[in-house]
Amino acid sequence: MAPPPDHRRPIKRVAISDQQRRRELALRVQADRRSDAQNRARQLASSVLSLGPVTEVEPE
Amino acid sequence: VAGIELPHKQWPELIGSLLSNIHQVETHVKQATLETLGYICEEVPPQVVDQDQVNRILTAVVQGMNATETSSDVRLAATRALYNALGFAQANFTNDMERDYIMRVVCEATQSSDVKIRQAAFECLVAISSTYYEKLAQYMQDIFNITSKAVREDEEPVALQAIEFWSSICDEEIDILDDYRSEYTGDSDVPCFYFIKQALPALVPMLLETLLKQEEDQDQDEGGWNIAMAGGTCLGLVARTVGDDIVPLVMPFIEENISKPDWRRREAATYAFGSILEGPSPGKLAPIVNVALNFMLAALARDPNNHVKDTTAWTLGRIFEFLHGAVVETSVITQENCQQILTVLLQSMKDVPNVAEKACGALYFLAQGYEDEGSVSPLTPFFQDIFQMLLYVTHREDATESNLRTAAYEALNEVVRCSNDETAPIVMQLIPVIMLELHQTVEAQKLTSDEREKQNDLQGLLCGCLQVIIQKMGSIEGSKYAFMQYADQIMDLLLKVFASRNATVHEEAMLAIGALAYTAGPNFAKYMPQFYQYLEMGLQNFEEYQICAITVGVVGDLCRALEDKILPYCDGIMTQLLKNLSSNQLHRSVKPPIFSCFGDIALAIGENFEKYLVYAMPMLQSAAELSAHAVSQDDEMLEYTNQLRNGILEAYSGILQGFKSSPKTQLLVPYAPHVLQFIDTMYGGREMDDAVMKSALGVLGDLADTLGSHVGPLIRDSSSSKDLIEECMVYDDPLVRESAEWAKHAINRAVSG
Repeated sequence: MAPPPDHRRPIKRVAISDQQRRRELALRVQADRRSDAQNRARQLASSVLSLGPVTEVEPE
Repeated sequence: VAGIELPHKQWPELIGSLLSNIHQVETHVKQATLETLGYICEEVPPQVVDQDQVNRILTAVVQGMNATETSSDVRLAATRALYNALGFAQANFTNDMERDYIMRVVCEATQSSDVKIRQAAFECLVAISSTYYEKLAQYMQDIFNITSKAVREDEEPVALQAIEFWSSICDEEIDILDDYRSEYTGDSDVPCFYFIKQALPALVPMLLETLLKQEEDQDQDEGGWNIAMAGGTCLGLVARTVGDDIVPLVMPFIEENISKPDWRRREAATYAFGSILEGPSPGKLAPIVNVALNFMLAALARDPNNHVKDTTAWTLGRIFEFLHGAVVETSVITQENCQQILTVLLQSMKDVPNVAEKACGALYFLAQGYEDEGSVSPLTPFFQDIFQMLLYVTHREDATESNLRTAAYEALNEVVRCSNDETAPIVMQLIPVIMLELHQTVEAQKLTSDEREKQNDLQGLLCGCLQVIIQKMGSIEGSKYAFMQYADQIMDLLLKVFASRNATVHEEAMLAIGALAYTAGPNFAKYMPQFYQYLEMGLQNFEEYQICAITVGVVGDLCRALEDKILPYCDGIMTQLLKNLSSNQLHRSVKPPIFSCFGDIALAIGENFEKYLVYAMPMLQSAAELSAHAVSQDDEMLEYTNQLRNGILEAYSGILQGFKSSPKTQLLVPYAPHVLQFIDTMYGGREMDDAVMKSALGVLGDLADTLGSHVGPLIRDSSSSKDLIEECMVYDDPLVRESAEWAKHAINRAVSG
């Protein structure tokens, strides 16, 4: 039989390493920027649409 | 062999014939039989063995453990076998008589004269505490008496298991109480019996006693474990379980011992204080910490004992972690005491490696508290001194001891993260210093394997540091242009780093390049010819899937930075991403980001995505079908399913938006029914999280926005679109409400047009 699990727990250590934090932060920033990019594209679409009637009446 | 055959219903006579050995007179046969049963229980999943056989195994094992068994070897083998068989005993633990009997035999075995049997019996109790927490109420008083005696009097391996029993109960109760507080469920499958709260008045004194049993020089032994460490850890878990209630029970111990001449007493008091800083409310702790802070700083500066200084620096770090920064209303750090704190911390960085490492850790949390402070950080006047000292620490001869170099770079990163307009010029001065260090590591040759390992560690730290600096300088408008003068040199160095064969180094370099791409924007195009090979290498790295995941994310960064300038590389990238999706070898966690990445690429290259539609769309459709119908057996699976759904929806959004206003929009019309059906099915399944909900609303709006009247009637007839949008219009999350408004508006336009 394998020995029972070693119950040692981390002593005086922070729960998360800075490396893990960098990795998670990068992923979060990427997700935020993706959603920003998509929202920008949507806002652009909306503003073009809402400007639609105005551009029609503008003189060429 | 049994592990392979039993799940296939082969070798049915095995367990029966083993059990017939149990009545043998010869001790060694009994012992070997119990060991074999233990091995089988360890290897075979519980559902493979029918209840009748489980009952017979448990009977044999428990008989072997009984005090009437004369052979210690047989009792030990039986106790270890029970440890493995506990997972099979679900039905037996619901039966009061059977459970009573098993518990009685286990408790009796904790009193054996053989230390190994006592240790194995406590290991069983630890396993029972997590597997059958909700069945323990009637035994807790007895278990407290048994564990308490063992902690105080027994040999170390036994005492450690006895402490672990209480740590394990804390783990269970912390999880349950977290579930109670969870905004999703607000409830837990298992109720909390508040065993820790009830045991508190006796449990805390027992744990405090253990803190005085330190070993000499234990702080130099990384991974060391002894009664004092286990007791302190358990005390920390108890504090997290019961919160404020622990404070009055621990304070007298701290007050009595913190100034005693015996270092063990001073250290134990400090360790107790540090251990209870997470859990109780800041309101309860702040007045105590305000009084203690000066004492702690004096102890760190002047206590003659390294062990006390180590624990003091760690405790200061915990004070800054839990009582300072955005997490609390009023920080215990003020403009006035900040200077004194920094003076002591920086001074301690010259101390022995383990104390210096804790001082770096304390500075890390001190800085973290100022990350969102803007330009009023009281750290500002000290930036130069802090960087100087941290760089000095990284160059210490003994910096590889006690993880000191890593701690110094991590603190450096955190200080950079909390820099602002005012301190950016000082961070800028760091760039050539870090580049020089990195240059030296890539130039170093003919290294021994030990030196190579140390160099890899250092390269990883330096790339990580550059990543943080790039992100920060890129985000401060006034520094961005000054920073860009270093971009060529940084990129050159990062490309050289890829010569290393080390996974962590690759990952760190890749993250730094992603940050650089975002900061450089379209100017990053000039680096692409050289960088592309490493990008492809990263995407192909299935074994170290973290690298693959990071690289997929960097492709997203590149798309946003380069926009259509990424086009020449898209054939290669898409080929690899499609290959990755089809592979069974790639870790599943990488697949959702790959779908999101399709969206990034499509958004960047617009209608040029046309040639990939024929490959990407069927992939998206089959993944959508799988994920829409997925039955989530557990939280982990549910989370993964939602990540997958979100990735698929982000891909659809990117593709739809990319084609917006293009004459080729028509190409997407045939896919619209499937996309709607996907959202319908998910909505019907009622397991969408907020992120998926938001993405689904986005896709509904994008469909309407891009395809307009072509899909108007289709959306109108979709069962979910109206209900989903109406439901989300009154949602708590304002972003969900905003997405719903937008989608409704877009759909109305499509339907009326």
